[in-house]
Amino acid sequence: MPEDGRVPTWEEVARRYGRTIYNFAYRLTGNAHDAHDLTQEVLLRVRRGLEQYTPGSFEGWLWRITRNAFLDDVRRQKRRPTVSLPEGDHVDAGAAPPPDEVLATVRLGEDVQAALLELPYDFREAVVMCDIVGLSYDEIAEAVGVPVGTVRSRIHRGRKMLRERLS
Amino acid sequence: MRHLEDLLSALLDGELASDDRTDVAAHLRACDGCRLELADLAVARTALRSLPLLELPAALVVSRDDAVVVPLRRRPSVWAASAAAAMVLVGLTATGGEPAPAADIDTLAEQHTARVVVDPGFATIRMTVEE
Repeated sequence: MPEDGRVPTWEEVARRYGRTIYNFAYRLTGNAHDAHDLTQEVLLRVRRGLEQYTPGSFEGWLWRITRNAFLDDVRRQKRRPTVSLPEGDHVDAGAAPPPDEVLATVRLGEDVQAALLELPYDFREAVVMCDIVGLSYDEIAEAVGVPVGTVRSRIHRGRKMLRERLS
Repeated sequence: MRHLEDLLSALLDGELASDDRTDVAAHLRACDGCRLELADLAVARTALRSLPLLELPAALVVSRDDAVVVPLRRRPSVWAASAAAAMVLVGLTATGGEPAPAADIDTLAEQHTARVVVDPGFATIRMTVEE
């Protein structure tokens, strides 16, 4: 976070990580409504937690909060079935029709999202943290609280399952 | 000969130590199966990394220069706020008996004065932060 090593303000965290948290949440839940609520919840927890945060691995701290918020929500709601909405959620409805190659990309994205939602949680989380958020294996291990070898195995198995579902 | 398995994903991610990279490269030269698996893994990895990065919904955007939205749970019936004061305390009964969070502006930016508009329909507080 800040290069001088101080604890970031909530505003800085929200500005810098809000979009990434939202994308993490969207890829885990598969819909914009849950992703919105989860992002709100994470930012609220960050806001409360920053007072206790001591400078260290900020990424590990932030993503631990994020995954815990998601898991708490799953436990609380026994999560309703995840239905993948088209990413048209985020497209201006009045925009001109997209060209074929854009449609093909969107469809591929929907296939990937649907396949992602079929993965067991541990594997889905691992590949999303690695390939969507861009965390290192060490950062994922810290956020999830498992050894790096476990992270490597989960990413590997998650990708293999995903590849099979995309065939 | 043991196949590479999860070392292949680590290779794609640049997460192998240099000694391991040498061993993995040697194995790959000799093993068709691992080369095919590497290609499959690369497809999955590329598919994930090609997913579009979605925009943050406008209601969650935070900007020092524009409006700041303080996220709160969608529980509009249980909180109360004073929009007139420079500080807003929001009490809400959080699920699971957690203490009610206080949303006070001084944690946003002490040097800022804030004009607060409460929007109960959306259960967020929109603040315009002025430099």
